[in-house]
Amino acid sequence: MANILVCDDDKEIVDAIEIYLLQEGYQIFKAYDGEQAIRILKQTTIHLLIMDVMMPRLDGIHATLKIREYSSIPIIILSAKSEDSDKILGLNIGADDYVTKPFNPLELVARVKSNLRRYTMLGNLNTENNALFRVGGLCINDDTKEVTVDGEGVKLTPIEYNILLLLVKNCGRVFSIDQIYESIWNEEAIGADNTVAVHIRHIREKIEINPKDPRYLKVVWGVGYKIEKQ
Amino acid sequence: MVGIMKSRKRKAGRNARAVLQVLQHLLLVMAVTALLIVTTGSTVVVQGISDKESYNLHASDQEKTYEESKLFNTIYGRAVTDIIRYGVIRSQLETDGEFDGKKIIDVTAYNCRDTGIPEQYVTARYYLEDLLKWQNYGMEYTANDMTVQQIRDFLNDRTMLTMVDPDSKYYNTSDANYMKADIGSYTFVDDVSANMLSSGKWDEWYEGDEVLQLNVLVNRYKTVDGKNIEEYTADPESYVRLCENVSKAMQSLAYNYDEYLTYQAYYDSGNTNLRYCIEKTVGDHTEYFTNMEDLISLEELKRGLADANMAEFFQSCFDTKFADSRSKYLYYSPSEMIYESNSAIQERTIQSIVREYDYAYPESIRIWIGVDASYPVNDAFTQGKAGFQNYLPYFWQWITLAVISIVLYFMILVYLTGAAGREQDAEGNAYILLNGFDTIPTEAALLLGMLTAAAIVGAAYAVSRFIVNYENVYTVWFKIAAGAVVLLVDVVFCYFYYSLVRRIRAGIFWKNSWLKRIVHECSLLCLEVYDNGNIVVRTWGPYIAFLAFNLFMILVGIFTGVPLLLGILVDFAVDMCVGVLLYLDVKERQNIVTGIEKIAEGNFSYQISQEKLHGDNLVLARSVNSIGNGIKTAVEISMKDERMKADLITNVSHDIKTPLTSIINYVDLIKREKVDNERVRSYIQVLDEKSQRLKQLTDDLVEASKISSGNINLHFERINVTELLNQTIGEFSEKFDEKKLTVVMNVNAAGAVIKADSRSIWRVMENLFNNVCKYALEGTRVYIAINSQAGKDGTERELIEISIKNISAKELNCNPEELTERFIRGDESRTTEGSGLGLSIAKNLTEAQHGSFEISLDGDLFKVILTFPMME
Repeated sequence: MANILVCDDDKEIVDAIEIYLLQEGYQIFKAYDGEQAIRILKQTTIHLLIMDVMMPRLDGIHATLKIREYSSIPIIILSAKSEDSDKILGLNIGADDYVTKPFNPLELVARVKSNLRRYTMLGNLNTENNALFRVGGLCINDDTKEVTVDGEGVKLTPIEYNILLLLVKNCGRVFSIDQIYESIWNEEAIGADNTVAVHIRHIREKIEINPKDPRYLKVVWGVGYKIEKQ
Repeated sequence: MVGIMKSRKRKAGRNARAVLQVLQHLLLVMAVTALLIVTTGSTVVVQGISDKESYNLHASDQEKTYEESKLFNTIYGRAVTDIIRYGVIRSQLETDGEFDGKKIIDVTAYNCRDTGIPEQYVTARYYLEDLLKWQNYGMEYTANDMTVQQIRDFLNDRTMLTMVDPDSKYYNTSDANYMKADIGSYTFVDDVSANMLSSGKWDEWYEGDEVLQLNVLVNRYKTVDGKNIEEYTADPESYVRLCENVSKAMQSLAYNYDEYLTYQAYYDSGNTNLRYCIEKTVGDHTEYFTNMEDLISLEELKRGLADANMAEFFQSCFDTKFADSRSKYLYYSPSEMIYESNSAIQERTIQSIVREYDYAYPESIRIWIGVDASYPVNDAFTQGKAGFQNYLPYFWQWITLAVISIVLYFMILVYLTGAAGREQDAEGNAYILLNGFDTIPTEAALLLGMLTAAAIVGAAYAVSRFIVNYENVYTVWFKIAAGAVVLLVDVVFCYFYYSLVRRIRAGIFWKNSWLKRIVHECSLLCLEVYDNGNIVVRTWGPYIAFLAFNLFMILVGIFTGVPLLLGILVDFAVDMCVGVLLYLDVKERQNIVTGIEKIAEGNFSYQISQEKLHGDNLVLARSVNSIGNGIKTAVEISMKDERMKADLITNVSHDIKTPLTSIINYVDLIKREKVDNERVRSYIQVLDEKSQRLKQLTDDLVEASKISSGNINLHFERINVTELLNQTIGEFSEKFDEKKLTVVMNVNAAGAVIKADSRSIWRVMENLFNNVCKYALEGTRVYIAINSQAGKDGTERELIEISIKNISAKELNCNPEELTERFIRGDESRTTEGSGLGLSIAKNLTEAQHGSFEISLDGDLFKVILTFPMME
């Protein structure tokens, strides 16, 4: 099983996370500041790191920077700083994910799983297939009509599948509601209709860990939808 | 030279300048002296016959010898004129070259020398010396009342009548002149009785005892015949005429005698370098007038000249005597029609001179006049030569010297003017050095300068009136004195002039003047009265003064003789000044108005310039500035406070989040434990809900404070309103379904696009829709409409209006404004979820995106209207 290092200066938070992760069967190492975390990283084989930002001695940002000098393990930053600028900074300096406090324990566990899968399994899962579309952890096999997220199968209705396929095929391009409607239903879109929007919301709930903060299917408000290039 | 001076300018210290100044004075003295020499030297003063005479020198003679010059010829011509006249006088007074007192003068013939004697006349003859003495003593007449008989007895019985021989060639011609012709041989004396002449019968018109008045001449001297004058005539008329002739001849001869003596001295061979010889032949008698007795005896002269050409004779005769070959001469012989001369004197000149005295010169005259160019005697010629030689060769040199001196003088003047007062201190910094005199008031200095100059010139003039006369202008002493006066004047001038320059350079010319002080004090006084006076003084004072002045000018115009036009002009000028003052005052106020407008527009840091403001305007400007400052400070403090509040909220929320995380997590962990106790499970449920709400609250709080302090970044892009609403409705479809709300969407402006930040506008919509979900009455319809509107005044861009209407589940008992205030919610019980910040955040975000946010309540109808400018 994977070794996970949890690093936070708040001991109770570290303990709570430990409880959740132990239930999932991971082995947990605990650190209470950046230096400690780096020390443990050097001594032990760690597969994933959950790290707070505001910590004594060495903060999470600097610790991440140091770790990134020699290690490419997944790092999830767990911080009370919830500003966009904080998230951007954390992701830019090498973190793989950013979860804000107070967090939903289930979401955190899901993200841990997701990151571990990508780190340990997906790297070597690779067959050339024209019908295979992949964006990050999202994978669509058009031959088998199967959709997986981080290796986990997802069940979609045919319309949801078609919408997702359209967006993944044109990864990065923004489609308006009318465009999606016309290409899926093959009818002219007449007037305002929120059918597509409802479908999109359903897809998000199925493929995203946190539908309000989607990783793949992004809403461009007032314009349309797109799959973000990873 | 100037260039060299300039390059040394920085180093030309005080000493160098002092030397230059001395040089300057010397140059001026030199120039003045040279000019004086040129002017005085151009006239030559020589000893004339009676007095000093001056002659001009001509620059054109510079290349000529003295004897060729105009000066020489002028003196020579003058002498020639003199000699010819002298010859006339000598022939009147001399016999054979010597003065002859016993010379017999026929008075009537003498008086008729000009016109020629009449064919018959009454005359008397006196000795020359008797006539001269008589004139010296004076003639005396006695006025006698005499009867005709007495007169007849007094006068002679007969008249001695002299007559010209009618057969002679002189009969009745102007040549019948005793000086020109030997008329004695052509006249005879007839002794006639009274009645032979018409005038002789004079007594026939009178009674014998009638008394007449007769002026009788007192006979001081007798005639040559030893007679009295009344013995020559028989009638009183010719007696009186004869007396007159005696008197006239006497006067004329006495005058000529004086002149004779003068000429004799002046043209004596020992006193002049002029030599002359006039040969005059009347009949068979030849006379010589000459001053060459010392060279040649009369006999030799007579013999030598007998048949010879006079000029050649003298040439041969005096070649040795006239040492210098430059000697000039002229020879004139009208009868031979000869004129010879090596001088510039023209023949017609001498002709015209001789013609003036033609009564004395017969045709047979011969004149020779020469000048001895060895100048053995100091006379007019010698003096002329000295002047000529002293001056003319150096004429241009003097002029050049004067011009160069003056040019140099002005060059130094210009240089020193540029350098005056400029000094450098030890560090090489330039400054203006002023002496004590420079700092006394300007007017005093000017006055002092003028007085000094006037004193010097006045003194020089006064002294010169006593000392200087025509002659000593030509002396060396006069030149030295003039130079000294010029030096003094120049020293004084330079002192004041450079002081003036330094004043102007230092900028104290005006500043240091009494006039400036007076003007300054007056203006200060006026301003003080104006600034300190109350409103009456400030408004009525100037106005009354203005009216009074105009009235005064009108009265002056009416009651005095001041020309009306002048009065109007002065009045007009003053009124114009008043107008300008009023204009300036209003202009000052205009500045203040501009400043107030700026501050009103929000430019709180604008300051009205207080310079050049007076009176009320100054007070006004100060007050406006202080109000502006107050507002500026208040706004700054308020901004700072808001930012600090936002920071505080952010920090606090971070600190809250950490323990909150543990609470949420452990509540969750408890939930996972199998808790059998129902009550404990319900407690845990409450804990879960409230901790979730606390989480929401902190997020909203941070967001609200960030928005209201303007601490957000917006990235504007094109937002399709219809798309946005469709997406939002899609997002909320489950929530609406839960509460059985039906959305009725009414799009009247399909495809309308606005400019907004994508995430923020979503946040607005999310909050509004959440609001609807929370407070809408279950099972009702929610109306959403998109409309387009024209701008308020028609010119602005079109507006897009988004309205969301729903029926409130609870009674709305507050006013719409309060709903957007923070922590205000429709239900004051605050039991439902939500922070109460939703509408506040929505409103602030809308406004940050240039939209307007409006809530209206109509009974249970809750209506939100968002308005954004439409994008093309």
